[in-house]
Amino acid sequence: MDGIWAKIKATNFFKSIYRNDYPDTPRSRVQVILNSVLLHLHPVKVPKSAVKFTYTWGLGGSSVLMFLILTITGVLLMFYYIPSIPQAYFSIKGLETNVTYGMFLRNMHRWTAHGMVLLVFLHMTRVFYTGSYKPPREFNWVIGVFLLLITFLLSFTGYLLPWDQLAFWAITVGSNMAGAVPPAEYVGKYVRFALLGGYEVGQSTLIRWYTLHVIALPLTAILAMAVHFWRIRKDGGISSPGESGDVKE
Amino acid sequence: MVREGEGKVLPGVGVEVKQETEKVFTWPYLVRIEMIGMLLYLVGFSILSIFINAPLRNLANPEVTPNPAKAPWYFLGLQELLLHMHPALAGVLLPAGVLVGLASMPYFDRSRSGIGVYFSTANGKAIAIFSFIYTAVWEIALILIDEYLNVLGMPEGSHGLGPLLKFLLTPALGSQIAAFLAEVIMPIGFILLIPSLLVAIVKRVWKADMREIMVALYSFFFASFVVLTIVGSAFRGHSMALMWPWEVGHPEEPLQ
Repeated sequence: MDGIWAKIKATNFFKSIYRNDYPDTPRSRVQVILNSVLLHLHPVKVPKSAVKFTYTWGLGGSSVLMFLILTITGVLLMFYYIPSIPQAYFSIKGLETNVTYGMFLRNMHRWTAHGMVLLVFLHMTRVFYTGSYKPPREFNWVIGVFLLLITFLLSFTGYLLPWDQLAFWAITVGSNMAGAVPPAEYVGKYVRFALLGGYEVGQSTLIRWYTLHVIALPLTAILAMAVHFWRIRKDGGISSPGESGDVKE
Repeated sequence: MVREGEGKVLPGVGVEVKQETEKVFTWPYLVRIEMIGMLLYLVGFSILSIFINAPLRNLANPEVTPNPAKAPWYFLGLQELLLHMHPALAGVLLPAGVLVGLASMPYFDRSRSGIGVYFSTANGKAIAIFSFIYTAVWEIALILIDEYLNVLGMPEGSHGLGPLLKFLLTPALGSQIAAFLAEVIMPIGFILLIPSLLVAIVKRVWKADMREIMVALYSFFFASFVVLTIVGSAFRGHSMALMWPWEVGHPEEPLQ
């Protein structure tokens, strides 16, 4: 077995995929980070205090994982979902009963969506309590608050799509809230109209929220996440107690 | 100020070269945590998805309003606020203000000390716990008052501080001004009073610096989100009346 594995590793094809050996020496551990598109989001080394699990609780990374699961399950759901009234509802019903693993797929999307809202909120709380919003990371904190808002909106726009009573009335409540932007007679009225594509929740609302949910908001989130991750590195990496401030004075 | 990566500083200014942080290789010390975490989450959510189904109620029907009609859980804190104040305040101005307030925190708290340590200072944790309890007590008390306060003579079915103020002021000021005072001005008063008093207390008791004030204010926000969300989701039933979680049940909805 080892012999076959060694032969596979010696092929040009294998070596074209993995540029370096299994990372077990300092040199290859540097290389693996630098040569991998995903791993190079990380620095080669991280503060020892930061890999202690109870420092970050893995909350930021978990939020990204939720986003990835949601993207994959979301694309699969799009194969079955019809953003039209009343087919939207019956396409979900059909997904649950006629599609192999359809119910599982929908459940996975639903529960990870709730998970993402919760994890993003807890991530923000962790970042706050460890003082990681302080300079020089202040703008990344601002981007983070923006990402929290995008997460809420992603979840909320998805809430309408099954077109059941739960969806319809939750969105009615939500858009009435948005319609209260003062002065309501002059501004709120138009905000509500723009959100609903009319005076009440209907076909034009569904197609608007569907478009926001599957394209506009995910693209915004990806862009904001790209800046967020980039800024972690540019603002000095993950926070740790050894930073400049305490030595001053 | 010493910026990250420019550790060397002029001698004699009272600033030292920052201490070198002990570092470990990302592979395997970080990557392995991410890998295990990913597997645990995948397994956990798969098990959840096998056993608990996402809800799907009847086909949407604009003619049939479920009672109560609730937003998703993360907006139930805001929906709870709607019961106590003007919708423009609860649904728009307050959440917008909270987001702007959160985003602006690092522009007020400029000091770099206490980074990377939970609660930063010796007093930080005590301040956080105090703020959480302080906020919870205030909000639960106000929710209870608004639910049960009913003075003789108030209109049938109305209860709470706002309606009482409106009831008392309407004869003197007219219903519009009375409503404005009761639904906008008084709630704004509480929204400003509760955190201001909190800041005054932590300044007085703990001689709080800017970071500790921020800890108090974030804990106020965090506790508010937690308390209002729990009350809104678990303690609000038919007609959004306050009740025990086991009395809430499913929204009443006629069969179609």
